[in-house]
Amino acid sequence: MTADRSDDRLEDPDAVERPPAGADGAETPEIDEGRYLYCLVRADDDATFDATGVDDEPVSVVTEDGIGAVVHDCDGLYDSSDLEQIKRWLVRHQVTVDEAGEAFGTPVPFQFDTILRGDDDDVRTWLREEYDLLERTLSELAAHWEYRVEVVETEPIGDDRLLEHDDELRDLDRRIDDAGEGTAFLLEKQYDQRIAELRAARRESLTNDLTDRLDDVAREVHALERSPTASLSDDLATGGGSDATDGTTGDGETLCRLTLLAHEDEEGEIGSILEDVASTDGLEVRFTGPWPPYTFTPALGDDDSTDTRPADPNP
Amino acid sequence: MTRIDVGDGEDARQGLVTLVVTVVEILIDTLEREAVRRMDSGELSDEEIERLGGQLARIEAEIDQLKRDEGVEDGVDDLRGDLDGLVTDAIDQLHEDPGVVSGPGYSVFGGEDE
Repeated sequence: MTADRSDDRLEDPDAVERPPAGADGAETPEIDEGRYLYCLVRADDDATFDATGVDDEPVSVVTEDGIGAVVHDCDGLYDSSDLEQIKRWLVRHQVTVDEAGEAFGTPVPFQFDTILRGDDDDVRTWLREEYDLLERTLSELAAHWEYRVEVVETEPIGDDRLLEHDDELRDLDRRIDDAGEGTAFLLEKQYDQRIAELRAARRESLTNDLTDRLDDVAREVHALERSPTASLSDDLATGGGSDATDGTTGDGETLCRLTLLAHEDEEGEIGSILEDVASTDGLEVRFTGPWPPYTFTPALGDDDSTDTRPADPNP
Repeated sequence: MTRIDVGDGEDARQGLVTLVVTVVEILIDTLEREAVRRMDSGELSDEEIERLGGQLARIEAEIDQLKRDEGVEDGVDDLRGDLDGLVTDAIDQLHEDPGVVSGPGYSVFGGEDE
C-alpha cells in the first residue's frame, strides 16, 4: 500500500458521496490515503483484531473510548468491471464483518466500499465527533442480530381440500353438474376464480399470522419483496452457478420473505415459531442468521440518522 | 424492463401472432370475468347466461385451436408471464420509497473531492 501522507483533514465528516450505481467512472473521487470501514464494534482501547479483508488487505481495529472501527488502509475505491472480482471483494467484506461480530459482539456494519479519508488518527477523530450517535447505535443493537425468514409453498393446497371447506365452491360444483353447456362454462370460470381467491387469502393469512407471532418476540419485523432483486448472494452460495437464483425456483412459490431484528436470547423462540409453520403441509421455511443487522443499521453519515438502509446480508 | 420482441424474417410472423393472441386472450379473460359478474348479479336470464357462456366457450376453443395450429402456445404463456411480471414490477415501484438508493455504490467520508 502506497501511503502518501495526505493533508486531507476531516473537515466535514458528515459529507457522504453516494452517486447512483453505474455512475460515470470519471466522477469517482480520488483518495490519497483512507481507511476502508467494515463495521463499528464495542471494543476496549487495547483491543486487537486480525483478519484478511477486501483485496487481501490486513484488517485492524482502531479504537476510541470503547468504540472500535474495523478498518484497513486503502488509497482508492474498490471498483472493477470484473464481476467475479467484485463478488470476491463483497464476500471478504461480509466475512470480515462476521468475524468482527464473533470477536466483539453485534457489529454495526457499513456498506461495501465505505471509506473515510485520512489515517487512523482521523478515524479516531471521527469516532469522537460522532460519539453520541455511534454509542447510541451500538447500545441499541447490542446482542441483537438480523434473521431472515422465507416461507415457501412447495405444494399448493389441493382443490379437494378447498372444496371441502368452502360452501361457495360446493354450491358452484353442484350447479355445474346440473347446468347446460354454456352456463357450465361460466360457472367453471367462477369456480376457478374462487379457487384463486381462496389460495390468495390463505397465503395472506399465513403471512399475517407469522408476522404477528414473530412481532411478539422480535424487536422489529420487516416484510421484504417476495423475490430477491439481487441474485449475487445465491450465485456465491452455489459456487458461481447462475441457475436457481430467482424467487420461484421451481420447487415452490415464495409466500413471504421477512427480515427481523431480534435479541440473541430469542433465537430459540423464533425457531419454535418457525418449526410450527414448517409443520404445515406443503410449506417449507428457510431461516438464516444470525447476521449483522444490515437492514436495521441507521444510515450513519446521512443527514437523517434514523433512516435505515436495507442491504442483503446473505453472503 | 420487459421488451416485446416479435423477431424478424420468418420469426416475425409467429412473433406477431403470439402478440395478437396474447392480447386477445387478455381481452377474453376480461369478458369472461364480466360475464361471471353479470351472471352472479342476476342481471341475465337463464337463456342469456347459456347463450353468453356458449359463445365465450366457442371463442376460447377457437383461440386454443389457433394457438396449436400456429405453434405459439408456449410463446403466449411466456409473454403472459412476462406481462404479469411487468405489472407486478410497476406496482412494486409505486410502493417503493423513491428516496432509497439501492444497488452497489460507495461512500467516502471526509476531505474534498479532487
